[in-house]
Amino acid sequence: MQWFRQLFSRGRRYDDLSVSINEHLEEKIDELMEEGMSREHAERAARREFGNVALVEERSREIWQWPAIESVWADVRFALRQLIKSPVFTLTAVVTLSLGIAVNATMFSMVSAFLMPRLPGRDAGSMVVISGVNPNRGFQPDTNPVSAPNYLAWRTDNKVFAKMAAADEFRTASLAGRGQPEAIQYAAVSPNYFGAFGTFSQLGRTFAAGEDQPGRDHVAILSHGLWERRFGSDRSVVGRTVRLNREDYVVVGVMPAEFSLLGFTPQLWTPLTLTAADQTAAARKDRSLYLFARLVPGVTLEQARAEMATLAQQAEKDFPETEKRWGVTAKTLPDFLVYSFGIRSALAVIMTTVSFILLIACANVAGLLLTRAAGRQKEMAVRASLGASRVRIVRQLLTEGLVIALLGCGVGLLLTYAGIHLLRANLTFNDAISAVPLRLDSNVLMFAVCVSLVCAILSSLAPALRTSRIEINADLRSEGRAATAGRSHSRLRAVLVGGEFAMALFLLIGCSLLVRGIYLLERQKLGFRPDHILTAGVALDQARYSESSQQIAFVRSLVSRLQQIPGVEDAAIASSLPSSGFGTVPIRIKGEPELPASQQRVASNVVITTDYLRVAGVPLLRGRAFTEADDVNAPRVVLVNQEFAHRYFPDRDPLGKQIRVDSKDRVPAWSEIVGVVSDVKSYSEETRVDPEVYQAFLQRPVSYFSIMLRSNVEPDSLVPALRQAVAGLDVELPLLRVMSMEGVIDTQKNGNPVFTRMLGIFSFLALLLAAIGIYGLVAYSVGQRTHEIGIRLALGAKGSDISWMILKEGLKIAAIGSSIGLVMALPLPKLFGSIFTGLSVSAPELYPIVLAAMLLVAILATFGPARRAMHIDPTAALRIE
Amino acid sequence: MAKNPERRDLFSGALELMILHSLRLKPMHGYALAQHIKQVSDDLLKIEEGSLYPALQRMLKEGCLESEAGISAKGRPTRIYRVTDAGMRRLEQDVSSFEKMFAGITRVLAVAQA
Repeated sequence: MQWFRQLFSRGRRYDDLSVSINEHLEEKIDELMEEGMSREHAERAARREFGNVALVEERSREIWQWPAIESVWADVRFALRQLIKSPVFTLTAVVTLSLGIAVNATMFSMVSAFLMPRLPGRDAGSMVVISGVNPNRGFQPDTNPVSAPNYLAWRTDNKVFAKMAAADEFRTASLAGRGQPEAIQYAAVSPNYFGAFGTFSQLGRTFAAGEDQPGRDHVAILSHGLWERRFGSDRSVVGRTVRLNREDYVVVGVMPAEFSLLGFTPQLWTPLTLTAADQTAAARKDRSLYLFARLVPGVTLEQARAEMATLAQQAEKDFPETEKRWGVTAKTLPDFLVYSFGIRSALAVIMTTVSFILLIACANVAGLLLTRAAGRQKEMAVRASLGASRVRIVRQLLTEGLVIALLGCGVGLLLTYAGIHLLRANLTFNDAISAVPLRLDSNVLMFAVCVSLVCAILSSLAPALRTSRIEINADLRSEGRAATAGRSHSRLRAVLVGGEFAMALFLLIGCSLLVRGIYLLERQKLGFRPDHILTAGVALDQARYSESSQQIAFVRSLVSRLQQIPGVEDAAIASSLPSSGFGTVPIRIKGEPELPASQQRVASNVVITTDYLRVAGVPLLRGRAFTEADDVNAPRVVLVNQEFAHRYFPDRDPLGKQIRVDSKDRVPAWSEIVGVVSDVKSYSEETRVDPEVYQAFLQRPVSYFSIMLRSNVEPDSLVPALRQAVAGLDVELPLLRVMSMEGVIDTQKNGNPVFTRMLGIFSFLALLLAAIGIYGLVAYSVGQRTHEIGIRLALGAKGSDISWMILKEGLKIAAIGSSIGLVMALPLPKLFGSIFTGLSVSAPELYPIVLAAMLLVAILATFGPARRAMHIDPTAALRIE
Repeated sequence: MAKNPERRDLFSGALELMILHSLRLKPMHGYALAQHIKQVSDDLLKIEEGSLYPALQRMLKEGCLESEAGISAKGRPTRIYRVTDAGMRRLEQDVSSFEKMFAGITRVLAVAQA
């Protein structure tokens, strides 16, 4: 505990030291005076002999200190005193940095939540997800689920996994009993699924081995969310029976809230039952299982991948017809989840944007520090002449920067806390997103602190280095009048502000390109009338509606019941809602030779009932619409859209031509094109129009479809009547997503409005900070040049000349900076085009507009100081010394 | 820029060696110590007097020296430095290693002259 004793004896040590040194000097002086010197001369000689008294004392004291910490602490205290002395400066700097830090930390909470997801169970790093790879699948070709036969084969044949569980994550079921039936998303999992993760249930148990056997498989585990919402967190739910898909299931357990996998949001789990039918060659086409496996200890991911590749090659050799071009890969669980969630590039854009804001904020603070440093040039010269080394002065100034940054970090974290709340309230546009909690967690905290340290260095290093370059004599001699030191500071500041403008313009152009792109999407004409339509999804289950005649009967009676609801003008059903994305099918045109697979003709494919066109408001351009006569017994007919006609019959009349829609699950039949309808955008959030084929429901029934009601009242008011009509036909049939067509389109925006608002806020912040930067620079320069301006005025310069001079100075910097930013922003459309597909991001006309806006802001910010310069009183100005 | 105050025109450790050796003869206060070293070396070793003090503090911290309140020759309060047992041991070690070094240097110089 020696250091502890030292801490307390130190005061005495310092006193001893001073006494010794004093006595030393006194004795020397005495001696010199005895030799006949005057006291004055003797003192000077004694000090010369001794060296720098203060420095010697300081060095001697440092022996007793933990030098690093103590002198840093001294620096911190000094910095705090300095900052308290100039509150306006401190406030500006701290607020500026806290804004930058808060924006970054808030956005980082998304990175923390989405890219570093908290995973259930133990040792998520040794869990892997095995997925199918097919280069033909455009979007994320390496995250496809795999088929049951492959799962069963690989489970037994591999030597690299200790456990392999399978999950069909995206099944839909009707959950009935107690309250109205609802459609839920659930997962069917192999009984070892929860064990593979190493997780336990919160209530009851997880699945037992053997519960995947028919007869024992009617057991279910509830998610924490469903347990809370539908069962009121009732602990006695375990052991009770629920109706799932018209069958009784016994609830055996409830999972804790922590059991969630990013991007997967099942509300309930049942055992995955694989029967003989799942082992046939035909079952190989049904790829719906995600495989979760735990590596045998000691086996690396590469070894596992190699093993799986071998197994996939084997399958390809054994079943070339179905397995051709299908490979397989393994990713660690966190990698897979983050990758397949597909939010990385959007987050990268956001983080880049906010880091620019941070840079601008840092440049502003650096500018402020430089200004202050210019005022403190003399103080620094005094310090240097008293023996402070350059390193020491740089350290002192860096400490000041650090203190400002840490204060900014503190305020920034408060703002972050609020920001995250705001963000969380806005990020609810789909289940997967709202299932992920955004928090001010340790990652965000660490990030904020690191960002602050970077800020401290960025904003104070240049001023510190500049200021510590001291010419003692010149600096000490210079009186307020000489602007030489200020000049080179101003030059550095001008570079900083120019840089700010470059960054702000770059950011502004980037943001406005995206905002414009999104805005165009919001405003685009979709090709139908989305207002006054109520929609609801229906999934007819196999238990009651396996035959197509049953499906047709259900739809016929449903539509006639719906049409009788007061307020309903027309009712129709469609296999998918307009502008909500369609399945694509291969098309053949009669009389054309069969084309190679790569040039195959494709079209979106929708099945509709007779009144669909009227309900949706899609104009029929030529020919006729479907009628009740177009049923199973009549010749097959189809409608096509303009794009189809234009692309596949460029110079022929499509009416009367025969085409064949080759959907997978049907025997293809030739159909006659009887009408051409107007184009509808394929997806509300994209500008694309695809060739489209409409088939008649009576000729080609489907079991999954949407109801559409065209109403002359507020669509939401029809919901009870709609539910009643459906319940009147089938009391256990749930309705999915009952919402207005406009609501459907809103949800499809999928965060675009939030994204737009964010970008808007970022651009505004960047612009504001840049404006503050240029204002500070020009205002300071006017202050510095008061004397010069006084002389100019005294010599006859006009006020307007002076303000023009000042304005020009600011504008020059803004213009140079902005031009650099403009050049930087040139490749942005290309970059965004590759990230945000479906968004129109090319808008060269935006560049000059944004540039002009920036310059306007620069003029406005410079205007105040310029006016002030104009009104400087020459006599007063000249008297300032 | 002030010159480095820790600059010594001596071998490293030489100042400490001389301090220990001088104080072993007689406990002294700082000024007396400086005077002593100057006189004994016949002004050959010119040291900046101030540089004594960091060295003294270092040795105090290492436990080679101890200090006590005392009165200077002129009757003013000062601090008297005295060598501790640990200081004596350190001195012995330092002396023997210095002797070895000097012997080595002397031999090298002798060869160069021949």
